[in-house]
Amino acid sequence: MAQAFAIIIFLAMFILIIMDKWPKQYVTLGCALLTLILVFGVGMHSMDAVIETLNVKSIFTQGFWYTGGQASETSSGINWETIVFLAGMMIMVEGMAHVGFFRWLCMRIAKLVKYKVISIFLTFMVLSFVLAMFIDSITVILFLAAVTVELSQLLKFNPVPMILSEVFCANLGGSATMCGDPPNIIIGTSLGYSFSDFLGHTGVIAIVCLFVILLYFYLIFKKELSDNGADSIDTASLPSPESAIVSKKGFIVSTVIFLLAVVLLVSHASTGLTVSCIGTFIAIITLITSGKNALTLIKKIDYHTLLFFIGLFVVVGGLEQTGVLVLLANLIGKICGGNLYLMIAIIIWVSAVASAFIDNIPFAATMIPVINSLAATQGVDLSILAWSLAMGTDIGGSATPIGASANVVGVATAAKSGHIIKWGRYCKAMVPATVIVMIIATIMICVRYVH
Amino acid sequence: MGQLIISIGREFGSGGHEIAEKLAKHYDLPLYDHNLLDKIAEERNLNSEELKSYDEVQDGVFHRRVRGMSSSMTEHVAQLQFDYLKEKANAGESFVVVGRCSETVLKDNKGLIAIFVNGDKEQKVARVSKKYELSESQAADLMKKKDRARKMYHNINCDSKWGDSRNYELVVNSSKLGVDKSVQMLIQYIDARVANR
Repeated sequence: MAQAFAIIIFLAMFILIIMDKWPKQYVTLGCALLTLILVFGVGMHSMDAVIETLNVKSIFTQGFWYTGGQASETSSGINWETIVFLAGMMIMVEGMAHVGFFRWLCMRIAKLVKYKVISIFLTFMVLSFVLAMFIDSITVILFLAAVTVELSQLLKFNPVPMILSEVFCANLGGSATMCGDPPNIIIGTSLGYSFSDFLGHTGVIAIVCLFVILLYFYLIFKKELSDNGADSIDTASLPSPESAIVSKKGFIVSTVIFLLAVVLLVSHASTGLTVSCIGTFIAIITLITSGKNALTLIKKIDYHTLLFFIGLFVVVGGLEQTGVLVLLANLIGKICGGNLYLMIAIIIWVSAVASAFIDNIPFAATMIPVINSLAATQGVDLSILAWSLAMGTDIGGSATPIGASANVVGVATAAKSGHIIKWGRYCKAMVPATVIVMIIATIMICVRYVH
Repeated sequence: MGQLIISIGREFGSGGHEIAEKLAKHYDLPLYDHNLLDKIAEERNLNSEELKSYDEVQDGVFHRRVRGMSSSMTEHVAQLQFDYLKEKANAGESFVVVGRCSETVLKDNKGLIAIFVNGDKEQKVARVSKKYELSESQAADLMKKKDRARKMYHNINCDSKWGDSRNYELVVNSSKLGVDKSVQMLIQYIDARVANR
């Protein structure tokens, strides 16, 4: 009965998220409450399952903050490491946005390439990729797309091709590191992989794909972007990058904090600091240095997303505790019959197709226990399945306007200025790009890891 | 006379648009309807046909919201028009506007007179059937479809319900007096309202 409750609640949660009738944090929290009552209470009569899923005690263990160079322990239930890290990064990003960092960076690059539309197009794609390696893709696109629209009005070009390319590269950049995309944070913290583990595996794939994708978007959008009135624009009349900076001191401080966060993340496998420790540290120094704006930054934390994650982890915990995910893993194992190529292909492509239509975060959270169980029962290296899952969920979301958060923000920013991006227009450009990257990722994972 | 904004909400086939045209002509005011998107497109160098395909239509199922931002194009096209109307109203312009949730969007403007035009089914079917050269059943189907879309569009974008008399100063059944006499009656009311300011 507990299994049936867990499955029904999980499916109801997914359907309600897709229907988008209520804020999704209410959906996951409501379903989490039902999981605690119906699955753990009525179905399992297990207080231990409740305690294990709420997982509060993990915060008070040393391993939550410092692993001493060892891989952190795998735990089920609410992944507080992800929650704390995300909250910390949100504060840092808000601090950077507050002083005008992102707008300055975009305007600076546009000026560096002398406001040539094709050069802006290419450099903004790379910028989107690099920023999304360290910062959430929503923030990256929020600023990049806004500046793109602004430049399109000044330089008289259609911003849609540029925004679509930026969105794709943000999702691609997010796949390159552990903190780039929420599925990667959950995969990394749940399975004990570090920032450099991701960089050395998904990062390599993402960088190879970036070159191919730059060429792809250049070829399909070159004509559209070349057709503009930029030649007649007096670039001296354009706003200077420095005008974006709200506070010079704040700007320098937030740039230093950002670089510090990058250094700490890149080196966290050797320093032993966990991402939750880094997130907390970065948040504290951002708040201390922002003085009276500290309260504003705290208020700007996206609590909705954090609550969404908490509810989600509990619902997935219900599936995990009742053994449903082990059954799913056994089913995948049976279909594959020990064929690792098939297993990789199934994980990448099923994740990609699912993520194109549904939120990739719940999908990844559900699949983590599945691949964990698959690795244990089939004798497969867990990391191979983890990289396959990361690439599938991170990139698959690019295919449709609703697949990933960055897509919605990009499409909405364009539409706000009157540039309509229909599903057809979106998918025509993005589906082939997604398929190209998925093919490259599948080949690279198979060639590199399967012997 | 001061600022005068006449908002006309209407059922499909009620002649509401024709009434709006005649009021605009009588008061020598610009008429904003679907042409609003032409104006927005012209001013911002956009594709008006693309914008119009999302004008006052029922929203699709496949969209998603992230931090208050939506992937629904219908919602954005509606907001573009709302912003444009507010801009015009705040600039002190007088105009007649058909639909576009204008009775709600502009409700804080003192120059606003909000009217809703409905009609009896038989007359509406006859009007639609004649105008679009359709059989009666085809006209009834089209009417049903259009009114459902307008209702959805309105109710998604406004707290109040479409056609609810509490949103409007006057609700007129155009089938009772016909378009011309309804226009005359409305002119009398509008003149009295303006004189009473």
